[in-house]
Amino acid sequence: MTWLLAIPLLPALAFALLAPLPRVTRNALRWVPAVAMAGSLAGALAAFAMVLRSGGGDQPIYHTSFAIATIGGKALDVGIQLDAVAAIMLLVVTIVGMCVQVYSLGYMHRDGRVGWYFAVLSLFSAAMLGLVLASDFLLLYMCWEVMGLCSYLLIGFWHTQEAPRMASIKAFLTTRVGDVGFAIALAIMYASVGSFGFAAVLHGYSWTPALATAVSLLLLFGAMGKSAQVPLHVWLPDAMAGPTPASALIHAATMVAAGVYLVARAMPLFEISQVALTVTLVVGTGTALLGALLATVQHDIKKVLAYSTISQLGYMFIALGTGSAVAGLFHLMTHAFFKSLLFLGAGVIIHAVHTQDMREMGGLRKLLPWTTAAFTAGALALAGVFPFSGFWSKDEILVSLWSGGHYVVFALALFAAFLTAFYMTRLWFRVFAGPAQKPEVREAHVEMIVPMVLLAGISLVVGFASPFFATFLGEHGGWPDIMMAVGSSAVATSGIVAGWWVFGKKAVDTEALKARFPHLYGIFDNKFYFDRTYEFVFVNAYNRLSDALWTFDTKVIDGAVDGFGHAWSAVAGGSWTFDAKVIDGAVMGLASTVTWIGARVRRLQAGRVQTYQRLVMAAVILLVLWIALKGA
Amino acid sequence: MSAVVGLREFLVLSAVLFALGLYGALSKKSAIMILMAIELMTNAVNIALIAMSRFLTPGLMTGQFFAAFIMVVSTAEIGLGLALVLALYRRTRTVEVDRIDRLKG
Repeated sequence: MTWLLAIPLLPALAFALLAPLPRVTRNALRWVPAVAMAGSLAGALAAFAMVLRSGGGDQPIYHTSFAIATIGGKALDVGIQLDAVAAIMLLVVTIVGMCVQVYSLGYMHRDGRVGWYFAVLSLFSAAMLGLVLASDFLLLYMCWEVMGLCSYLLIGFWHTQEAPRMASIKAFLTTRVGDVGFAIALAIMYASVGSFGFAAVLHGYSWTPALATAVSLLLLFGAMGKSAQVPLHVWLPDAMAGPTPASALIHAATMVAAGVYLVARAMPLFEISQVALTVTLVVGTGTALLGALLATVQHDIKKVLAYSTISQLGYMFIALGTGSAVAGLFHLMTHAFFKSLLFLGAGVIIHAVHTQDMREMGGLRKLLPWTTAAFTAGALALAGVFPFSGFWSKDEILVSLWSGGHYVVFALALFAAFLTAFYMTRLWFRVFAGPAQKPEVREAHVEMIVPMVLLAGISLVVGFASPFFATFLGEHGGWPDIMMAVGSSAVATSGIVAGWWVFGKKAVDTEALKARFPHLYGIFDNKFYFDRTYEFVFVNAYNRLSDALWTFDTKVIDGAVDGFGHAWSAVAGGSWTFDAKVIDGAVMGLASTVTWIGARVRRLQAGRVQTYQRLVMAAVILLVLWIALKGA
Repeated sequence: MSAVVGLREFLVLSAVLFALGLYGALSKKSAIMILMAIELMTNAVNIALIAMSRFLTPGLMTGQFFAAFIMVVSTAEIGLGLALVLALYRRTRTVEVDRIDRLKG
């Protein structure tokens, strides 16, 4: 089963092929990553079929590892494994990846650097597929970082503009903060266990609770950076400056879910430490509420979806916080499908009306029928309406909260669900209902419609896999409790009705509300002051530190350097004087001596032939005399 | 002491002629005179060659042949020399060699 390696390697090869090519050739070969992705999709389907035939469970059916380095006599192994979780993640990543690749062919076809876009997208897919196949934390971390790089490159894809450039740096640095935690966790792991392998770390070592708590919290911190959890969520809304299909793949479906995947993988470690689970629960709840609240006040359609993503990721962390990796992963899967669908739909809308501001949209229902249908399916799934997938996965999380006895969090999660339905309704009425503001809008190309319809279909049916999903992962599964289903449906419906009442029927004047509660609106408008706080605490402090260092630099370091320079200059001056007087004097003296001798000697050169001839004669006579005398 | 003219007399004549020629070549101002003096030296050499040949190797004609060659070559040399003198005169309006000092360093 070495062919499993081909699943991540095919897109990586596509990147390696495209990256060194000149731009024109690369643009012409933009279909190569799609072909590679199709190969990976086929591989993922085959892998899924094999796991399905073996019955799933939590034991890997295949594992291989190889040493990548030997440090201090110890081999550093990385490996891949195939188990139920990996098989499902492979399917999710390849299906969404395939849809995004095909969609991008239509979406990006006018861009001058489309080849580079596809190359990076391909590298990203390779990293994500490598991450879900990894059988140890080391390979997982490596892929994790490559994804961070690709995210940075794609957010800053339109690097000639200010906003994407700043957003890419912000995303890179913010996720790096979390990654430091991850790296420290790796160090502790290796120091105590002596291995990075999942099996060895999670099952083959008896952790002390304190150490398990430390490692879990550090891993959680890394996951919070990647998955945009409060307080490290600030990069994700800004990351919307990148191309929309890239947002669909990276910042909705896969990379931001990698944090959830990491925590789900490390769940045995979290279970040793109740503290880590509680922290996860608190972080998830805070994120779910904050994201949902902020999504209700955004005017940029992509920002609404971004905050929605933050909120839903918070939901997944809530599930993980209750110790239910299955519920978290199931919500990860359903969310990946419907949120990438929503982003792709938003891409079509942005292309059609040339703005991201929802206040300038409206009435697109008749103009973009296919997009409207697909987007509505995604919105209903997100709102958690039966029978769309979001309903099932959200119910599982609520059930695990209820059965775990977390009643406060349960109530807050229900409130977040209400808000989710509310802001999606708001978005829907803003964008699709009402009078058309731009009548010349055209429906998208077929290569953009087909992936959306496919994702809409998956979002519609995948929820019914709910009980089998848990069984497949080796847990007890079943249909959600009927009371819970009714309750959550009631919440979702009330959210939709409230949204309709405010934004469809326009029974409430939102502007008047804004004027009535300026302070409250200010808090929302400033995104709960997270960015402001970071700017004040970290950026300004950093700048002040930089200023202080700069002063130190100019005064002390530069002073020392300048002093040394002056001293050296004095030495050089003395040396110059010696040089000018003694060395040059000697050379000049030699030269003038030679000149003086030359002036004497040149008198011999009278220029008269007879003078020369007389000299020759005299010489001959002298020579003859010398020979004669010597001979005698 | 017989009055026979022998090799020694010829060599003395040759040496006298050569010395006269050398003196002329080194002291005359006119280029024409220098050429003539050089001619005198050449002929002194010729006399010496023929005398040597006549008295030392009577059976061979080596010296005579050399003398004939030298005459031919010196004729050519005089022609060349006179042509040079003419060209020199055209440029400098003089044939006095001590006024021609363009090789002066």
